[in-house]
Amino acid sequence: MQTALVAVENLFLYNMSNYTENDLAKDLENQEYKFGFVTDIETETVPKGLNEEIIRLISTKKNEPEWLLTYRLKAFEIWKTMQEPEWAHVAYTKPDFQDIAYYAAPKQTKKYESWDDVDPELKETMSKLGISMEEQQRLTGVAVDFVMDSVSVATSFKAKLKELGIIFCSFSDAVQEYPELVQKYMGTVVPNTDNFYAALNSAVFTDGSFCYIPKGVRCPMELSTYFRINAGGTGQFERTLVVADEDAYVSYLEGCTAPQRDENQLHAAVVELIALKDAEIKYSTVQNWYPGDKNGKGGVFNFVTKRGLCEDRAKISWTQVETGSAVTWKYPSCILKGDHSIGEFYSVAVTNNMQQADTGTKMIHLGKNTKSTIISKGISAGKSQNSYRGLVQIHKGADNARNFSQCDSLLMTDVCGAHTFPYIECKNPSAKIEHEATTSKIGEDQLFYCMQRGISEEKAISLIVNGYCKEVLNQLPMEFAVEAQKLLAISLEGSVG
Amino acid sequence: MNAITDSKLSEFCSQFSPSNIQGLQTLQSDAAAYLSKEVFPTTRNERFKYTRLQKLLNANFSPIETLSYEQISKYSIIKDVPTICVNGPQIFIPQQLISSVTISSIAESTLAFQSETYKDVFGAMNTLYASNGCSITINDNTTLNQPIQIIYLHSGGAHFYRNQLKFGKNAEAQIVLAHFSISNSIGFSHTHTQIEVGQDARIKLHKIQCCEEGHFDFNEERIFQDKQSNFEINTISLKGSFIRNDLSAQIQGEYAETRLNGAYLLNAQQHVANYTTIDHQVPNCESFETYKGLIDDHATAVFNGKVFVRQDAQKTNAFQSNANILLSENGSVNSKPELEIYADDVKCSHGSTTGQLDENALFYLKARGLSTKAAKSLLLQAFMDDVLQVFQPEQLHTFIFKVIATRFNWQIED
Repeated sequence: MQTALVAVENLFLYNMSNYTENDLAKDLENQEYKFGFVTDIETETVPKGLNEEIIRLISTKKNEPEWLLTYRLKAFEIWKTMQEPEWAHVAYTKPDFQDIAYYAAPKQTKKYESWDDVDPELKETMSKLGISMEEQQRLTGVAVDFVMDSVSVATSFKAKLKELGIIFCSFSDAVQEYPELVQKYMGTVVPNTDNFYAALNSAVFTDGSFCYIPKGVRCPMELSTYFRINAGGTGQFERTLVVADEDAYVSYLEGCTAPQRDENQLHAAVVELIALKDAEIKYSTVQNWYPGDKNGKGGVFNFVTKRGLCEDRAKISWTQVETGSAVTWKYPSCILKGDHSIGEFYSVAVTNNMQQADTGTKMIHLGKNTKSTIISKGISAGKSQNSYRGLVQIHKGADNARNFSQCDSLLMTDVCGAHTFPYIECKNPSAKIEHEATTSKIGEDQLFYCMQRGISEEKAISLIVNGYCKEVLNQLPMEFAVEAQKLLAISLEGSVG
Repeated sequence: MNAITDSKLSEFCSQFSPSNIQGLQTLQSDAAAYLSKEVFPTTRNERFKYTRLQKLLNANFSPIETLSYEQISKYSIIKDVPTICVNGPQIFIPQQLISSVTISSIAESTLAFQSETYKDVFGAMNTLYASNGCSITINDNTTLNQPIQIIYLHSGGAHFYRNQLKFGKNAEAQIVLAHFSISNSIGFSHTHTQIEVGQDARIKLHKIQCCEEGHFDFNEERIFQDKQSNFEINTISLKGSFIRNDLSAQIQGEYAETRLNGAYLLNAQQHVANYTTIDHQVPNCESFETYKGLIDDHATAVFNGKVFVRQDAQKTNAFQSNANILLSENGSVNSKPELEIYADDVKCSHGSTTGQLDENALFYLKARGLSTKAAKSLLLQAFMDDVLQVFQPEQLHTFIFKVIATRFNWQIED
C-alpha cells in the first residue's frame, strides 16, 4: 500500500495528460545517454596490446610485490589457453584484445592531502556524475572511493573508518599497505582459472577497491565506489575485494558510468566478497555504462564476474539495477558454504534500443540449512534482448536447503525479446526449490482496473511499472536510492514519474 | 558424402547400414553434413549436460532375436485393437480397418518427410540409418472409435526407427505407442516419429516407455500442427535404465491447442531425460505443459522444457510446469524450464519445484491409522495424479497403475 502511495505522489509532479504506453515506448527510444561526456584530463596510458611485457609494465608502474606479478602472469598463461564463452544469449563482435590499452591513469597520480587539492576538472566530472563529494560528505555521510580510468583518485571518511579498524582504500593501496590481507583472500572466490574474463582481469587489472571490516564491527556508513571509463580505447579492469570478518556488517555501493564513444569499450571486472562467520555483506550496484546509440553503435561490453562466499550463518545480498551497457554478461553469485548461510539476489535489468543483457545469479548450496532468494525483474524496450540466466544448485550435503526464485519479464514493444534460462539442480531429498517465471506486457485488465478508478492511463502505467520494480528498488539503501533515480536515466520509473 | 571426423562418433555410426527408406534420401546430405561437424556428445554439450553416454559407447549389444507376431503382440496393452508390431527389421501390419485409414511399413510409405534442423547427432543418424517403422494415415473427417496401437519390442541390437503419423482435416484418433524390451537383452533404439495434425483434428498420442534394464531407449517426436487443431501427447517413463525423449512441437496454424503431459517414476539407477520444445509460430495459440516425477534410489531425472514464442505469435498463452519429488539421498533432479519470447502481447509462465512429501499431510494420514507406507503411497499417488489420469483408455490406465504398484510397492485400490 505504501509503495503505491509513493508512486502516486510522484506522478503528480508530471503533467502528461495523454501519455500512453506507446508514448512511453517512444520516450524510452529517444532518451539519450545523460552521462556521455568526456573529461579532458591528461591520462597516462601504456601502448595498446596484451603480452607479458605489458603485464610486467603495469605491475612495475604500480610497484607491486613479486607474488602479485606471478599471479598476473599465471592468469595470463591460463587466459591464453581459454576460449571466449559463447553460451550467452547475446550477439556482438568480439573485442580485439590486442587493440586495447590496458592501463590508463589520470596523470596527476600524487596523493591528495585534502579534498581541496583535487584537480577541479576531476571535481567537475564527479559533480556531473551527481556525486559531488562535498555534497556527499556533508549531506549523506557516504564514503566514496572514486575510480576513474583504473586509478582510485580520492577517498573520503578514511579517518573515521580507520578508528573502527575498517580498511577502505583503493586496491593498489591495499597491495602496498595490507599485502598479507590481499594475498590471503584475493582469488579465493574467483580463482584466476575461473573463466575467460576473470582470467583476463586477473592478468591485467589496474585498480579497484579493497574493503576489510574487522571482527564484530558494524560499518556505520555505506561504502561507495564509482567507476567511470574515460579515455578512449581503454578497458576497465577493476578488482574489488570485500572481506567482512566474523560478525561484521557492511553495505557496499557501486555505481558505473562511461562517456559516449563510437567504439565499444570493454569492461571486465572481478568482484569478490567474503563473509566470514556471522558476517553480512550487502552489495548494491547501479550500472549505467554507456549503452550505445539508438542503432547499437558503441557502448560498453560489461563482462563481469561477481561472486561471494558465505561461511556459517553469514549472509550476502546482491542488489543490482542494470540499465546501461551495450552487452551485459553478469551473474553475481553466492557460494553458501557455511551452515545456515543466506544468499539473496535482487535485480532490475532494463534494456532499450539495441541493448543485450544476459544476467542472473548462481546460488550454490553446500552447507546445511542454507537459504537463497532470487527476485529478478526484466524490462525490455526498443529492439533489445533481455535474458535471465540462473543456476540453483543443491549439493548432496546441503540438508534442508531452501530456494525461492521469481523471474518476471515485461515486454514494452513487439520487437524486443525476454528470455528465461534457469538451471535447477538438486541432489538432496530434503531440499525445497521453487522457481517461477512469467512474461507478459502490462496487463490490459490491470490498466482497465486503474483507469476505471479514475487514474489516467499514463499514471496507471507508471503505477504498475513502479509496483513491478519496487520489490527490488526497495532493497537499495536510502542514500543510494536518490542516486539511483538520477542514474536510471532510461529507467521506466524516471521516464514516467 | 561428408565423412565423420570424430573418431568416437564414426565408431558408433559404423555399426549401422545406410537407410533403405526411399523418402529419406533427399534429407541425407544435410544429415551427413551435420554429422561431419559434430562430435559424440559429452557433458560439455548443453543438451547432454546431465547425461553421460559412455555406457552407450561401451555397451555390448546382444544379437537380435527373430520373434513371431504372437510373441510381440502378447505385450499389447489394449486388447483387440489394431496393433502394429515391430522388432528390429521385423514389422507386422494389421489388416486394413476401414478405407479411410492406411497403415503400412515406413519403407512402403508414400508420405513426405519433413526436413529438419538437427538438435543432436542421434537425430541426424536417424535420417541416415533408419531401417524400420510404420506409417499411419488417417483421412479427413475420420473418427476412430478405438485406438491404434504400436508395439515396439526390442530384443537386442542397435536400431533407428522412423514413424509417420498423418491426421487429416477434422480427424479424431488416439494412438498408443509403447516400447518394451526382452529382459536381459542389451540394445539401443532411437525412434523418430513425425506427427502431422491437420486442421480441426483432435488427436491424442500416449507414449508408454516400459523397457527392461539394459535397453537404451531414445525417442524423438516432431509435431506439426495446423490451425484449430487440438493435440495432446502423454509420455510416461515406467521402466528402463536409460530413457531420452526429445519432443518438439511446431504450431503452424492459428487457434491451435497443444498439451504435453509427462510422468516419470524412477528408481534404481534409472536415467530419464525429457527435452521439449514448443515453438509458437502463429498468433492465438495455447500450450499447456505439465511434467511430474518421482526420483528414488540412485536415479537421475532431467527436464528441459523450452517455450519459444516468435515475433508474429501475438496472443499466445503458454504455461509450463515441472514438479519433482526427490525421495532419496543419492537421486538427483535437474530442471531447466526455459522461455524465449519475442512477442509482447503474450501470457507465458513456467514453474519448477523440487521438494519432498509434506510432513503435515503424512502426519494427518498416519494419525488416522494409515501405515507410513500406505500414507506415503497415497500422497505420491495424489501428487502424480494429474499426469496419470490423462492415460484414459481404461486398459491403459490399469496397465500403468499395475506397473507402478509393483515397482514402488504402492497400495492401490481398484
